[in-house]
Amino acid sequence: MSVLLDVKNLQTHFISKKQTVKAVDGIDISIKKGETVALVGESGSGKSMTSLSIMQLVPSPGGEIVGGEVNFNGRDLLKLKEKEMRKVRGNEISMIFQEPMTSLNPVLTIGEQITEVLRYHKKMSKEQARRRAVELLKLVGFSRAEEMLKDYPHRLSGGMRQRVMIAMAMSCDPKLLIADEPTTALDVTIQAQILEFMKNLTHQFETAILLITHDLGVVSEVADHVVVMYAGQVVETSDVERLFDEPKHPYTQGLLNSIPAIEGEIERLQSIKGNVPLPDEMPAGCRFAPRCPKVFDKCLTSNPELIPQEQGRKVRCYLYEEGEDAV
Amino acid sequence: MTPEMNTAVKSGRAQQEKTSSDVILEVKDLKKHFPIKTGILQRTTGVIKAVDGAHFSVKRGETIGIVGESGCGKSTTGRTIIRLYEPTEGKIIYKGNDISHLKEKEMRSSIRRDIQMIFQDPFASLNPRKTLGSILYEPFKVHNLHSEKERQEKIESLLEIVGLDGSFKSRYPHEFSGGQRQRIGIARALTTQPELIIADEPVSALDVSIQAQIINLMEDLQEEFGLTYVFISHDLSVVRHIADTVGVMYLGNMMELAPKEDLYREPLHPYTRALLSAVPVPRQKGVKTREKVVLKGDLPSPSNPPSGCVFHTRCPEAMEECKKVVPAFEEKKSGHYVACHLYK
Repeated sequence: MSVLLDVKNLQTHFISKKQTVKAVDGIDISIKKGETVALVGESGSGKSMTSLSIMQLVPSPGGEIVGGEVNFNGRDLLKLKEKEMRKVRGNEISMIFQEPMTSLNPVLTIGEQITEVLRYHKKMSKEQARRRAVELLKLVGFSRAEEMLKDYPHRLSGGMRQRVMIAMAMSCDPKLLIADEPTTALDVTIQAQILEFMKNLTHQFETAILLITHDLGVVSEVADHVVVMYAGQVVETSDVERLFDEPKHPYTQGLLNSIPAIEGEIERLQSIKGNVPLPDEMPAGCRFAPRCPKVFDKCLTSNPELIPQEQGRKVRCYLYEEGEDAV
Repeated sequence: MTPEMNTAVKSGRAQQEKTSSDVILEVKDLKKHFPIKTGILQRTTGVIKAVDGAHFSVKRGETIGIVGESGCGKSTTGRTIIRLYEPTEGKIIYKGNDISHLKEKEMRSSIRRDIQMIFQDPFASLNPRKTLGSILYEPFKVHNLHSEKERQEKIESLLEIVGLDGSFKSRYPHEFSGGQRQRIGIARALTTQPELIIADEPVSALDVSIQAQIINLMEDLQEEFGLTYVFISHDLSVVRHIADTVGVMYLGNMMELAPKEDLYREPLHPYTRALLSAVPVPRQKGVKTREKVVLKGDLPSPSNPPSGCVFHTRCPEAMEECKKVVPAFEEKKSGHYVACHLYK
């Protein structure tokens, strides 16, 4: 399958008089058509900032994309003018956010919010847009779609709002959907509904999804490929089966071990000691070194590159350098 | 309808003889209704049945987990036990005494020291204008415990017990990360040497690697001080890890209550089954993916709950009877309670 999105060495920095914070520090991601790629990491790892950089919605002033390429469908999005970029957002690439409570406009009806997108991007007439909006709401599982157009967001529950967000995001048949923690604020039974629905999207419309999450359970259920981030950098990339069968980076291993299991033996949880380093207190060597159980001298002085492994996997760890024995 | 739970004793935990007299807290048919008031005259036009029948008991040194989705009344149950809300009906029996209608003054002099609470949001539950020292000093002052010198020593040792540095007592909450703040919240709960701790979603605001640290800390403290926990959470995997007995709530009602092993191995209530299957699980080598029960629809409003069994609108196995008759909460196997017409 052809590559749809190819992010190369993306760098987003926050510059102030006192310091420069490298929120995104050389990220590579590639997504094929119809593929779901999960971007995983803890809070502060830079995963949301990566997605905002792809959409060029980095908070400004302060944040700035200082380098790299975002190749989407054969064009570098970073070279587009703001006016051209506006035609990409919501049309070719759309986004859903974590907070279904705050990402809908409370003073506009659901209908107004969905038709706005269609009228702007697809230049539809009011009537056409209305019909399409009803179709979309039915698609995301609302039986009384007609009446819903006149409802205001406060009348809907969290799960319903998130489905409306998805309907809006899907309104222009985007090639890529960026979902930033789409189910984090929802209950498990509602989360199951939304995940089921997102899986259907990729099958039915070949929409590629960049799923940003901290929940490895969700990753395991929907993703094809996983990119693990730590402190602004990619530390491991792998297809989903191999990542869960045999995590390579000590950080990925730590993450997997710290999840309490819902089946199998109950053991004491293995936590990762310490905290994610603050952006202005980055360690000199490997960024995970202060928390790593397998740290050795070399890790403290220099930061490893991403080292290619079998089956296209990559891992940023000196344990996997040529000549070193695997763990 | 008194749950006499027969929970397996965790090895290495508060080694005491477990008899039925060791039940430290018993909640019987607890109800908490909030009136809905409208208009300038503030007439009561309806009630929200936040908790509408919660039953459980917990033995000294053990942990009861209460799980459910948002709006199921699990937090209200926790807050009613500690009497932050007045119960509408039902009994809260602590160490053999009914505390459900004790006066505030009596509560403070006898019960509040014994029952403490840990809150969900470590960012909102600590006063940002106070140092850790004064945050931890307050409970000593309120309850008039220890001499001044002892208090200062205790504050430092408490910080060390929860894995922080004693010298942190002159710092402010904003200087700490979420996990560290939750440790401070735990230290505060420990100041009065309580016997029972109500922990309301103590780890849900934390990243997984930090979450594991806090769960381990809570387990260590339980062993060291013989604490009893009421652990409220929406996360079934976390509860499975820490609890001895688990109660599942839906729309204010306790649907199922059982020893942990039974509940997770053989859930009886259709809601518990759906809830368990909905949890996304990181795949493991050689483990088959489980069958999913995806529930339709949303949670009904607690101001207008469905007739009969409150779950019948979403239940995949609903029968005619479920729409009319409220199922009784009964013991089906030893220690395994369920409210469902399927098991008669």
